Amino acid sequence: MTVTEPTAERTADAEVDDAAEADQVVVEDVLVEEISIDGMCGVY
Amino acid sequence: MAFDADAPHRLSERVGLRPEPFGALAYHYDTRRLVFLKATALVDLVRALEHHASPRAAVDALVADPTRRPSFLSALASLAESGVVEPQHATLRETA
Repeated sequence: MTVTEPTAERTADAEVDDAAEADQVVVEDVLVEEISIDGMCGVY
Repeated sequence: MAFDADAPHRLSERVGLRPEPFGALAYHYDTRRLVFLKATALVDLVRALEHHASPRAAVDALVADPTRRPSFLSALASLAESGVVEPQHATLRETA
């Protein structure tokens, strides 16, 4: 039986891509956030 | 209804938009949902929607950084899903 060693270290390019993707997600999350106020009677 | 980025939209008449330091707070009188618009640029965009041919045209005109335009378009799609913005023909249903 052959055991394959875990290979490849992540490249710098891959890390940069991941970071850019994370930034994109954060930007989208920050722009809009929705909540319901049902059940909050008496708060106002 | 699916969001059409190329059809004319506007801020819904059933939504109150209150300016806040972070952007604005939108309250929908029908759904009783609150939506935080967490960027003043997004608020400007929403208010200006009715003066542009489409959300995509508004984003292209008002968002200077091309890399941020997809995020703003996505935010408008989310606001359309929430009923904060609506197709302009939707206003006719109240008077029909």
